[in-house]
Amino acid sequence: MLNIQNLKLSFGEKEVLKGVDLNVNKGDVVTFIGPSGTGKTTILKCINYLVEPHEGQMQIGDINIDFKNINKKETLKLRRNTAMVFQQFNLFKNKTVLENVMDAQIAVQKKSKKEAYDKSIDLLGKVGLLDKEKDYPSKLSGGQQQRVSIARALAVEPDIILFDEPTSSLDPELVDEVLKVIERVAKTGVTILLVTHEMDFARKISNKVVFMEKGKVVEEGPPQQIFENSQNERTKKFLRKFYAKTNEMVEAK
Amino acid sequence: MVEAPSTIDIISLLLQVAHITLYILIISAVLGLLLGSFLTMIIVKNIPILKQLTTVLSSFTRSVPIIIQLFIVYYAIPPLLSNFGINVSNLSAVAASIVALTLYHGGYLTEVLRAAYKAVDKGQHEAADSFGYTPIQKFFRIILPQVVPVGLPGWGNALIHLIHDTSLVFALGVADIMGRAELIAAASYGMNQVQVFIIVAVIYIVVTFLSDGLVRLLEKRTKKYKLDSGLNAGGA
Ligand SMILES: Nc1ncnc2c1ncn2[C@@H]1O[C@H](COP(=O)(O)OP(=O)(O)OP(=O)(O)O)[C@@H](O)[C@H]1O
Ligand SMILES: [Mg+2]
Repeated sequence: MLNIQNLKLSFGEKEVLKGVDLNVNKGDVVTFIGPSGTGKTTILKCINYLVEPHEGQMQIGDINIDFKNINKKETLKLRRNTAMVFQQFNLFKNKTVLENVMDAQIAVQKKSKKEAYDKSIDLLGKVGLLDKEKDYPSKLSGGQQQRVSIARALAVEPDIILFDEPTSSLDPELVDEVLKVIERVAKTGVTILLVTHEMDFARKISNKVVFMEKGKVVEEGPPQQIFENSQNERTKKFLRKFYAKTNEMVEAK
Repeated sequence: MVEAPSTIDIISLLLQVAHITLYILIISAVLGLLLGSFLTMIIVKNIPILKQLTTVLSSFTRSVPIIIQLFIVYYAIPPLLSNFGINVSNLSAVAASIVALTLYHGGYLTEVLRAAYKAVDKGQHEAADSFGYTPIQKFFRIILPQVVPVGLPGWGNALIHLIHDTSLVFALGVADIMGRAELIAAASYGMNQVQVFIIVAVIYIVVTFLSDGLVRLLEKRTKKYKLDSGLNAGGA
């Protein structure tokens, strides 16, 4: 359902994506792992055209895009078939929790207020935040904001949801509540692309793991292959380093 | 012996022309806001040439004393425009005042609005874009409502400047409150000038008070979500 070929992007002189290919089937949960600054966030943003690749093709559902000459109509269509959950939540600050979940349904999907309201209330119930419906985002904890932002993404019934390190800016004790919600979303069969440093979580929920380094896909495969039987030196080195670091942190506590 | 007019007389003489001051003030405030918004859009959208012109205008209006700007518009614009075949030789002093104050207020507001626009977190743009809002939907539903509370205090200050500066248009011969005040003071050989100008001061205090009230009312209505970034609740 999502195919990307030869995706390339530079910020000025800096080559960030050096020709990435990706195939995702409907219902897949694909996790991106890799060192900081490798371009994981950038890939997700390309899929939404929040950053502008200068080369590459993408097919998503029935949309066919050549990034070299993408037009405004295609951009909107692309964005309306995907939804993004940001590391910093990015809830609309001028809108209440309920309005945050309703707004795109009304503005973009042209649903009636009633329809948008019912859907939003249902989703807020599912993420356990019905009682916060009238609050502004600034009054919520990070974990609560992120759950609202997941509800906001689900509300537009996207073909794909893009999660960019959804728990990285949360206090440790708030991480679990958000991961639980994501896990439940994954079980509904919606296609998910997720960037995360939560390796255990990645192993548990994904059916495909993509290891990236320096703007390239180094290895991809089912979680067992990547986490347990990787034959790739760079993958192994990254995971070794990663687990050494987490162990240090655990011991330091 | 000329009899000096009573306080009541002075007040009523001044209020007879108050509408001229208010007219200049309100028109300049509205046009200045429109101009400032337009110029801010040019800067934010980074439109070449227009952007440079805007920067020049904005720094001109900020560095040149308003009285000089008034004279420049009044005396320099008619011959300038006649070069292009536009005849405004009968540009009235009131019209010239409005043009000058609009440019001044608009230039000032450009700074205020640009800063307020920049204060909106980039993540807000990204979120709206990611859902496929059109630029116009994004602007009116998400961005503008967040620009307003940030810009309000600066807009309030700009209004106060504008109010004060309307007291200078009499220099072009406009028969506004100040112009009338000068006449009253001169008619009684300066016997009651302190009294006259204190009354003028009180009128300006009232107008400024009303303008402050308006700004504060708007601040109250938009304060509810201005409770800072919302990022702070993110911890880490
Ligand atoms: N808007 C930008 N302008 C310039 N450089 C950028 C921009 N956005 C990202 N970069 C650079 O592109 C590279 C890839 O960034 P990206 O955010 O995709 O990395 P990442 O893999 O998500 O890293 P992290 O794990 O730290 O989030 C980095 O070197 C970053 O500095
Ligand atoms: Mg990232």
